[in-house]
Amino acid sequence: MAIELADIRFHYPNRAEHTVLNVPSWTLKTGTQGFVYGPSGGGKSTLLGLLSGLLSPNSGQVRVLGQRLDTLSNRQRDQFRAANIGYVFQQFNLMPYLNAIDNVLLATQFSQSNNRGGKENEVKVLFNALNIPENEWQIPCRDLSVGQQQRVAIARALINKPKLLIADEPTSSLDQANSDAFMKLLMPMAADNNMTLLFVSHDHSLSSYFTSVESLGDFNQVEGINNAS
Amino acid sequence: MLAKLALQSLLDRKGSAMLSLLAMTVSVFVLLAVEHIRHQAKDNFSNTVSGVDLIVGARTGNINLLLYSVFRIGSPTNNIRWQTYENITSNKLVKWAIPISLGDSHKGYRVLGTTQDYFEYFSYGKKNRLEFDQGHQFDQLFDVVLGAEVANKLGYSLGDKVALAHGIATTSFSMHDDRPFTVVGILAATGTPVDQTLHVSLKGIEAIHIDWQHGVKVANTELTQSDLEKVDLQPKSITAFMLGLSSKMATFQVQRSINEYASEPVVAILPGVALSELWRMIGVLENTLLLVSILVFIAACLGVSSMLLASIRERRHEIQLLRIIGAPPYFLFLLIELEALLITLLGCLLGATLLMACLASLQGYLVAEYGIYIASNILTKHSGYLLMSIIMASIVVAIIPSLSGYRKARES
Repeated sequence: MAIELADIRFHYPNRAEHTVLNVPSWTLKTGTQGFVYGPSGGGKSTLLGLLSGLLSPNSGQVRVLGQRLDTLSNRQRDQFRAANIGYVFQQFNLMPYLNAIDNVLLATQFSQSNNRGGKENEVKVLFNALNIPENEWQIPCRDLSVGQQQRVAIARALINKPKLLIADEPTSSLDQANSDAFMKLLMPMAADNNMTLLFVSHDHSLSSYFTSVESLGDFNQVEGINNAS
Repeated sequence: MLAKLALQSLLDRKGSAMLSLLAMTVSVFVLLAVEHIRHQAKDNFSNTVSGVDLIVGARTGNINLLLYSVFRIGSPTNNIRWQTYENITSNKLVKWAIPISLGDSHKGYRVLGTTQDYFEYFSYGKKNRLEFDQGHQFDQLFDVVLGAEVANKLGYSLGDKVALAHGIATTSFSMHDDRPFTVVGILAATGTPVDQTLHVSLKGIEAIHIDWQHGVKVANTELTQSDLEKVDLQPKSITAFMLGLSSKMATFQVQRSINEYASEPVVAILPGVALSELWRMIGVLENTLLLVSILVFIAACLGVSSMLLASIRERRHEIQLLRIIGAPPYFLFLLIELEALLITLLGCLLGATLLMACLASLQGYLVAEYGIYIASNILTKHSGYLLMSIIMASIVVAIIPSLSGYRKARES
């Protein structure tokens, strides 16, 4: 299993009465291209926070790629994330003042396997695979179009060859054409690299790209709790 | 990568970063300048006189005697009799003596009546003797030896005639213009009040005052130089005198015997002691200046920190991004510290360079106009320590925004 959640409960420290996540059990098989949809404010980002190790559950077990995250120290979780999880946001995926190459290299900085020598070549290979024209490699990322920025973001997420790729509404800031182009790049990339993909969005229309489609509301049972309290 | 990130991030916020850098540069400039000039002034100051064991004058405050005898500032309270001078210097512990007679001036520069021993024994700095740039010491009645600044500013050269004025005001109405002096020597610059002094013989001083009583010319007899040389020009009183003793050990013994001299109230001071007393008074001003420049520096540090603190809010997404690619929270702490450090280092570099450039270009002017010599090399041990404390202080102050960045990173 790529992801296993058991008896997860989570609320933010400043709002103890409001449970955001209550997941008795949820799994995602290794190699799956999973799509989880749900309305905004439904706990999608919180779920991804738990899976990436930025957040810790109040109770329950988080197992990612066979590793219990909830028992690791903060530092170990940071290292685990750097080495094993690629992440693409809706926007602000890049340091605006660094160029595309440096942005991707920055991501190699924190993973265990940072032998810098060959990394720059790997970046260029990735850029070519993602059809990012060479004249855009050296200019600050803020000067790239939004569509192009998301491609660089894919490169950044893939550079450490993560086993799990998490995409948090990556197409929401793109128009339809760019959104389609993005999906058509992302899906084969994930497949070719044998990654498990967890794609989260409120946009159900994207579900046709995925092998597994679930609604967050199906496994996150917060309704009863918050109404009862 | 951390350094690159810090640098690029600063370059990305050029406007505010440049202003912070400017504030830092100015504050480093002021701090280094005050510290440097402070040390230079102290060196210059304590170099004004050396090798003189005692200064003797009419009974007055130590500092007053020092001021008028060495720095030519202020007025002597009283003269001492020539007889007293002879009695005291007849002590067998006295190796040499330089009598000083003040009271006349030339275009605002003081005239010092003395003997040829002055050129022999007076020393300044690290026991440097006076040296002649041109000419030689006085030996005729109306010979004058100019300090470097006097000759330079007033444009005198050897052979020029100089009329002395009675009193010490820049514009004097009572001139000794009937008996002009001839420039026979010009001293090399010393960076001490010697540069601002005209030196004549004691007899010359006597000669120009021959028909003066109570500071007013009473008769205008046309005495020629040969007439004057026949007159007994032995001075009846002098302002003060400097003593060199045959043994340092004897200093206090001689000082006590002078202070107990019965027939006239005189006082002997140790120049070193009086200098440090005087410096302690000036030190208050000096410390105030230093304090103000430290405050300016702290303000600049706070400016840098507030700039970085404000940037943290703008950088919410950057911080989140860094966290998601695996940066630990302390990476953010280091990043912001490094940004502060970059500004400080660059500020130090610019401030120090600016100061050196300013000193180098002002050096000639200061020596020419004020007789103050300030070395342009500020890279001393002191400024090294100062720069180190500047860097340390900025690191400490930058903890505030760095911690804020760290906390933001933990929360995200």
